[in-house]
Amino acid sequence: MGTVHAKVEENFTEAHSEIKSSARELPDKGQIKEIEIGGVKARVDKIHIDGLSRTKNDIIEDCIRELFKAKDFQDVLLKAHKARVKLDELGCFKNISVFIDTSKGPKATPDGLEVTFNVKEHKRIIGGVSTHVGNNEGVLQIGIKTPNIFGRGERVQVEYSHGSKKTSNFNLAFIKPFRGKHRPTLTTSMFQSHMEFPSSAYKMLEKGVVFDLGFYSWSLLKHNIQWEGNIRDLSTLSRNASFDVRKESGLSLKSSLKHVLSLDLRDEIIFPTTGSLLQLTSEYAGVGGDVGFLKNDLYLQTNYSILPDIVFQGCLMGGYMSGISNDLKISLADMYFLGGPLSMRGFQMRGVGPHSDGDALGSRAYWAGGLHLFTPLPFRPGRGGFGDLFRTHFFVNAGNVGDIEVKSGQNILEIIRNNVRVSYGLGIALRLGNMARLEINYCFPYIYDKCDQTHPGVQFGIGVQFL
Amino acid sequence: MTLVDKISLELGAQEPWPKDVKFFQPHEVEQVLLPDNANCLATQAFLKMCQLPYIVEPRPNAEAMSPTLKVPFIKAGRFVIAELEGIVQFVNGKGITLTEPLDSDQKSNMRAYMSLIHSVLEMAELYICWVDDETYNEVTTARNGSVYPWPLNHIQNRNKRSQVIKKLKTLGWYNKKLEDVYSEVETCCESLQTRLDGKRFFFEHGPTELDALVFGHLFTILTTPLPRSDLANIVRNYPSLIDLVKRIEKEYFKKAAQQ
Repeated sequence: MGTVHAKVEENFTEAHSEIKSSARELPDKGQIKEIEIGGVKARVDKIHIDGLSRTKNDIIEDCIRELFKAKDFQDVLLKAHKARVKLDELGCFKNISVFIDTSKGPKATPDGLEVTFNVKEHKRIIGGVSTHVGNNEGVLQIGIKTPNIFGRGERVQVEYSHGSKKTSNFNLAFIKPFRGKHRPTLTTSMFQSHMEFPSSAYKMLEKGVVFDLGFYSWSLLKHNIQWEGNIRDLSTLSRNASFDVRKESGLSLKSSLKHVLSLDLRDEIIFPTTGSLLQLTSEYAGVGGDVGFLKNDLYLQTNYSILPDIVFQGCLMGGYMSGISNDLKISLADMYFLGGPLSMRGFQMRGVGPHSDGDALGSRAYWAGGLHLFTPLPFRPGRGGFGDLFRTHFFVNAGNVGDIEVKSGQNILEIIRNNVRVSYGLGIALRLGNMARLEINYCFPYIYDKCDQTHPGVQFGIGVQFL
Repeated sequence: MTLVDKISLELGAQEPWPKDVKFFQPHEVEQVLLPDNANCLATQAFLKMCQLPYIVEPRPNAEAMSPTLKVPFIKAGRFVIAELEGIVQFVNGKGITLTEPLDSDQKSNMRAYMSLIHSVLEMAELYICWVDDETYNEVTTARNGSVYPWPLNHIQNRNKRSQVIKKLKTLGWYNKKLEDVYSEVETCCESLQTRLDGKRFFFEHGPTELDALVFGHLFTILTTPLPRSDLANIVRNYPSLIDLVKRIEKEYFKKAAQQ
């Protein structure tokens, strides 16, 4: 499919070179003719799907219908690729291969083609043990899932994970994708998770239910509408925990409606070279339960390639929470925290903002921004191979967390500028597979408050979403 | 108690009794249950006997806040100390004690009676609140669940009940019948009355933590309206114990209220 990809970008010179490079493997260079496939008329007569046993026909038809509308050969390739991606998204198949051949038989048209998808369905039950990376911790996960139980991509999955920082998580989910233009997916899940936050001296046991409806309102604009009900049991980690943390102990029931909007236009997840990511989250808690707030969060990331391989990245995140009633409480677990290798580098985990006896208490609002410059390693050792997993990383972070009250008549810029923290530094970033980034930075906290916990010097961070 | 806790208590002992000591307990009117109320009242009585000032802070999550997950607890400066025994030890560390004139025999005698009250009266109170269906359905569920929203109140009541039942099972109280529980309480009161033997307090020289504990439990049993008043009726058969309760109430609680 390499050639198809090159053609998508309408970049003829590149397509040219790719065809040439593939031609090297062929024995006789003289026989190679270059053909402009965009101009070759074609029509798909038949589509075969091989290897279906329990998957229902209707969902497969939805995935491949577009392919019949192809007018020329390039279109066929493109649409075949799209159909393959859609089939893959169903999550029913282990592997999918595509064959395109000229159409034969009595009903064949002159430009006719036959497309065959060879698919291999997943077994009824699959399970596995894997390790992955959470927020600055390693996680071991055991999971069992039954893909495609009723033949339309439905699955039930059970997962248990245990992290290196004493977190544990159990999750049972039923996922049902629906047919339609907006590709809706309904997920219902039950979970129980245990987390410890040494920087705030509390631990929390959560048990809850989530209903999530995800759909696309435009090809890449994803919405998630969620209802979450969970019981949180908060308790102190030690006898020496600050009293401000201790007084938050006990049970609370949060029932909240949430809308997450995400638009990812980046070319890659870990080290993007171009494109932006936007995430907007609104959460309204207080539909039942005894916790009530309205929370709005933003995450924005933009990437520019200044020179080839030198990428400039700007990140901005912020959140604002307001209480909705005096009868409903806002727990320590709902607060915003800032600081640590994944957010404000050069500060300890949750190191920015109000503390009580060394325990972070969080605030109702925060903002943080980061400017990053990613370049290849100096002198580029291991170029084209192992060395490409690494980047040199320069950064400046700025942010603030506090109970910021936005009053009318006050300049919002002034509120933001007030009491801002800044840190800068440099280091090495490493891509771990296609799922996580590892950073080792030397940090210099530049502007900080006396109650902050700074972390000058070497700081190590591993995670998925960074500031 | 771990070593660290012991050290922190030792260190805390060197400071005088702070002025702003806070006494945390559940809400008295709508939340607290018989055994918790008894323990809170006993501890308050002890602090009043020692003439140590404190401010009562009712909190719905007092139990979860407590370091031992039991009420009551106090916050004295940086120190958080729970339950009567812990608080007595903390106060003793500051050189304040009610048991100065007692010899070691009398002290161990006093501790034996205190543990009798914990193992009989407290268990009987837990039994009545959580095992007896009538009391559980009419009083306990409403009060214990009052601070939680629906449906957490039901979940929490069920969880708490199974915790208490587990505890009562290990101590051999769960399989007792109501009559057995009453006879245990009778025996306990009998022996307390014998020990009191018509004196003003359990020990000649004046009140001790034992008096505080007896007051806490008996006063709560006598004054808490429950669908079953049998427990209160049993206690009423011991006039010298009733006198003790009245005396302590008048001396330490009424006086404070008048001031």
